[in-house]
Amino acid sequence: MRTDVMHAVRLARVDLKLLGRNQTAMINVVLLPLIMGWLFTVTLGGEQLAGVSMTLFVLTGLPGVMLGFAVFVHLVITFTARREELVLKRLRGGQASPVGILGGSALGALAIWVFQVVLVVFWTNRMEDDGLPGNVPLLLLGGLLGVAVFALLAAAVSGITRSAELAQVAVLPVVLLIMVASPVLMPLSAMPAAIRVVAEVVPVTPVIEIMRTAYVGRDFFDYGGQVMGMGEQWVAALPSIGILLVWIAVGTLLARWLFRWDPRHG
Amino acid sequence: MRTTQAAIEVDGLRQGYGDFEAVRGISFTVREGELFALLGTNGAGKTTTMEVLEGFTKARGGQVRVLGLDPHRQRRELRPRVGIMLQEGGFLGDLTVAETIAMWRGMAADVGRRPMTDALALVGLEHRAGTRVRQLSGGQKRRLDLALAVLARPEVLFLDEPTTGMDPEARRDTWKVIQDLKAEGVTVLLTTHYLEEAERLADHLAIMHEGVVHTHGSVETVVAAAGDQVAFRLPISPEALRARTGDGLPFLAGAAPAAVVAGEVTRVTYTLPATSSPDGAHAALRPLMAWAEKCELPLERLEIRRGTLEDVFLRVVGDAR
Repeated sequence: MRTDVMHAVRLARVDLKLLGRNQTAMINVVLLPLIMGWLFTVTLGGEQLAGVSMTLFVLTGLPGVMLGFAVFVHLVITFTARREELVLKRLRGGQASPVGILGGSALGALAIWVFQVVLVVFWTNRMEDDGLPGNVPLLLLGGLLGVAVFALLAAAVSGITRSAELAQVAVLPVVLLIMVASPVLMPLSAMPAAIRVVAEVVPVTPVIEIMRTAYVGRDFFDYGGQVMGMGEQWVAALPSIGILLVWIAVGTLLARWLFRWDPRHG
Repeated sequence: MRTTQAAIEVDGLRQGYGDFEAVRGISFTVREGELFALLGTNGAGKTTTMEVLEGFTKARGGQVRVLGLDPHRQRRELRPRVGIMLQEGGFLGDLTVAETIAMWRGMAADVGRRPMTDALALVGLEHRAGTRVRQLSGGQKRRLDLALAVLARPEVLFLDEPTTGMDPEARRDTWKVIQDLKAEGVTVLLTTHYLEEAERLADHLAIMHEGVVHTHGSVETVVAAAGDQVAFRLPISPEALRARTGDGLPFLAGAAPAAVVAGEVTRVTYTLPATSSPDGAHAALRPLMAWAEKCELPLERLEIRRGTLEDVFLRVVGDAR
């Protein structure tokens, strides 16, 4: 276990170094979600929703979008490309365990995501009067659970993706779901019924709801928007945490079933 | 040597993909400190066997042990003690050679190994330390791969076609590295389809074909099984020969002659049976000399060639076909 963690940290650092050398990935993974966030705030800013400005609403939803890019898209492409280039196999023939190898990439993705969230916090603080997160532990828990879910889903999706080029396409459905069927830009209550049904089960919804509530200190689980104390926030977050734990279980099963170390023969 | 333990034991191993059985019940043992070569054509089942021993896949049938452990179930315990060079290794192309080595050194140190400090020099790649791995030639990538496999000072080293794609000089250098490691007591299992490589490096070898081990033993015993070849030319056609001698050509040590007619010349080849006595060819030649004397026929271009590993190999591959 201890060596797995040491290996994962080592491999995560290598991953970050490689990301720095890959401009395409830098733009897709790091820059794109920030640009999207900027566009959203520019177009939607000024309005009010559930007791907060639209700018604050969108910015506190942005970490959900970032999960899609920095974690999910990034890891699907990484795992697929490395499998096809036999990197995963070579690493597996070395000292690291499967948990160390996959955990290393997940840890690297977590670091990118945390970096982006920190940027968003600074950004929010500049835009809003009271722009710092209120309940940091709950915010972190929601984020960590979200990273775990999307890292596992990325491992699973990479298993059914034949090449790094196809990976760009394979991730689109999930990216679209995150953009449309999640409370990034609007509360669930404002969505058309069909989309709302989907939004209620996708894992990005509970992540955003937990993080937004923890950030602002108001109820964004049912969008009443009333001010909540720390204890109330934790209690209100329990169902969402439960949904994420179910997703982690589902993701683990899917990853175990679909993930592949070797390219397909023939 | 006799009393040392088995480092690798394979007993009745079966393995395959889907309906295809790539390895069909093979057995062999590699003793500690020994270099064992698995020879075979492409698709013989060598790599499949290696992948089971490396712990990547679980055997369908039979038993395998590496350093007394089950390589698949006990891979975690085994990993630090084993070095693996795959037939085709993948690298992170955007890392430099030095960064790649540093990463692997770090991972070896994390599991408590004392990694080599001169792995790059060992494989002659110091001058490429600052190069991105992507830019290395095929042979250089193989050498880097070897450096990664040996850097944690493994007790058992698996080398899957280690010199494929190397130029003759690099191949010789690599042989030297492998021989030095063996001299330090490392057990090596290597696959190759270069017969010279096996002949030069291996203590023991096995020839695989279509998932079965056909021949195995020390290089000397395997080669001895090839039997010596006796060949010569007779300046006479077989009909004339029969008219002159009646009986035709004699048998040598029980081996029948193989005659090929080319115009007025008959080429004759004998493949003598394997024998443990070093003067086997000499003894076998006596009746031939007596026969030639009696028939007053000159044996033109007479040659005796020792059997080679290639003869054995081709016979295994040919017989099976």
